[in-house]
Amino acid sequence: MVVDRQNIEAVTGVGGASPSRAGVAPRVSLKGIRKTFGSHQALRGVDLDIFPGECLGLVGDNAAGKSTLTKIISGTYIPDDGTITVEGQAVRFSGPADARNLNIEMVFQDLSLCDHIDVVGNLFLGREISKGPFLDTGTMLAEARKMLDALEIRIPRLTARVEKLSGGQRQAIAIARAASFNPKVLIMDEPTSALAVAEVEAVLALINRVKAKGVSVILITHRLQDLFRVCDRIAVMYEGTKVAERDIGKTDLEDLVRLIVGEGAKQ
Amino acid sequence: MTTYTERAKGSPAADFFSEHAQVLSIAFFFLACVLFFSATTDTFMTLGNILNVIRQAAPILIVAVAMTFVIITGGIDLSVGSQVALVNAVAAIILAMGYPWPLVVLVMLAFGALVGFLHGWFTAYQGIPAFIVTLAGLSILRGFALYLTQGYSIPIKDAPGFFALGRGALFGVPVPALIAVAAAVIGYVVIKSTKYGRQVVAVGSNMEAARRVGMPAKWIIASVYLISGLACALAGLLIAARLGSGSSNAAVGFELQVIAAVVLGGTSLMGGRGTILGTVLGTLTIAVIGNGLILMHISPFFTQIVTGAIILIAIWLNTRIFTANFRFGAGRNR
Repeated sequence: MVVDRQNIEAVTGVGGASPSRAGVAPRVSLKGIRKTFGSHQALRGVDLDIFPGECLGLVGDNAAGKSTLTKIISGTYIPDDGTITVEGQAVRFSGPADARNLNIEMVFQDLSLCDHIDVVGNLFLGREISKGPFLDTGTMLAEARKMLDALEIRIPRLTARVEKLSGGQRQAIAIARAASFNPKVLIMDEPTSALAVAEVEAVLALINRVKAKGVSVILITHRLQDLFRVCDRIAVMYEGTKVAERDIGKTDLEDLVRLIVGEGAKQ
Repeated sequence: MTTYTERAKGSPAADFFSEHAQVLSIAFFFLACVLFFSATTDTFMTLGNILNVIRQAAPILIVAVAMTFVIITGGIDLSVGSQVALVNAVAAIILAMGYPWPLVVLVMLAFGALVGFLHGWFTAYQGIPAFIVTLAGLSILRGFALYLTQGYSIPIKDAPGFFALGRGALFGVPVPALIAVAAAVIGYVVIKSTKYGRQVVAVGSNMEAARRVGMPAKWIIASVYLISGLACALAGLLIAARLGSGSSNAAVGFELQVIAAVVLGGTSLMGGRGTILGTVLGTLTIAVIGNGLILMHISPFFTQIVTGAIILIAIWLNTRIFTANFRFGAGRNR
């Protein structure tokens, strides 16, 4: 297996001209991130910078480590080694709550919704508005309607439990939850896999809109054509390492596919 | 030209029915039982009998409300009967030493909460399945109760204030029933409209999602066992006050009655879904069946068979007929 013979060049993140952004401090900077699950080396030393107001596309084959890397940024996994710097400050997340407090939000691939709670409750999960000890259902319902309207998401009954909704509606709720509370970093792991045409367009428009507000977006997707519509930069992962980084203007679909399947490495 | 139209909103009645199917079905079952026993016995529908039923059901209801919290998180507490027995016995021993009863009540409530928290700690923080932890608790705590009392029943003397907890009445309603109703109301409000209740449901529905949004998932799991322990202590004290004695053999089979009541009320053993209203109805259904069969002069041994069969039938109806897909008039075409 490739895992066993670690490629030093790959580990240090070479492979393609690394685009420079002189003068701008990265919002999130990862250095030498490693994560092992049992005997499986999920990440073998990844460096990655994400700048304010840019969308970084993260692509790679299945099990390349994309989700693991984003889960580390969102505090869901704790890295075994390496450092995370957020806006110049070195941070050590002890859990997802820490990352959320730093306005790092994530749309998880499994959506992370509570099926038995209604739409409003899921949108405000972990951020419930309360009056004294009691939930302020009225305010949350009104706010939830505004949040969904702003993203042009149509769900008729917000007091319906999430389990009754379609896959697309569920995904839309997960996106609305992450995007609506002024994130500084918005991570989206396959946000459009279950969405219909109009909804995909809405998500891409949303990404461009939040980018304009200075939010850093990390987008994982297998729909490569989408990357060219919203991303400024693309990082390619292969077997737990970052093998390449490309500015969007200096690459094309063919180049990306070749990097993802690792033809360069096999030659 | 193509015209676009909006889909009509579902009728509120249908939404209401599908969302509350479980509670409605147990409510229907409860009413059927009440009507049946009212028709077949003269004494069932008398004030005296009804007060008696709710007095006897009070300890089960108190613990069932707490058990609803536990089961909503996807856990189970098998040790409730043993916890009740231990508190029951220890309270009698301490009262026999001559300590004032209000102090004993407070100490026992704290003791129950501590025992419950220990279960919660092993379950939440050490990752041992709740079934195993509380099964061990079931054995250990009953064992302590037996060891402390050496199997004897310990009489409680000269504590009229304490006895009033179990035997007294306020405005004609037995005190234990009032306490149980208060517990149910608190449970209902907490689950439905507090942040803590929302966290309990979230953890039961999708623990990883709850953790990812920053909820203290482990603490929430541990806390429901603490609540269960507190409720068991309260139930144990009420039983001791009603019987005027403490015994290690109190509340044998209690855990099964409690779990049956909760499950009958439509709470899912998988977690996430459950209502206090359903639990109240489930508890009352079991209490009414037990009481009604005795009034019908059916052998008390037969009661267990009937209770078990009714639980099975009720759950079967719940899963096969009153599901989320059930519609009026369309139930047959599958």
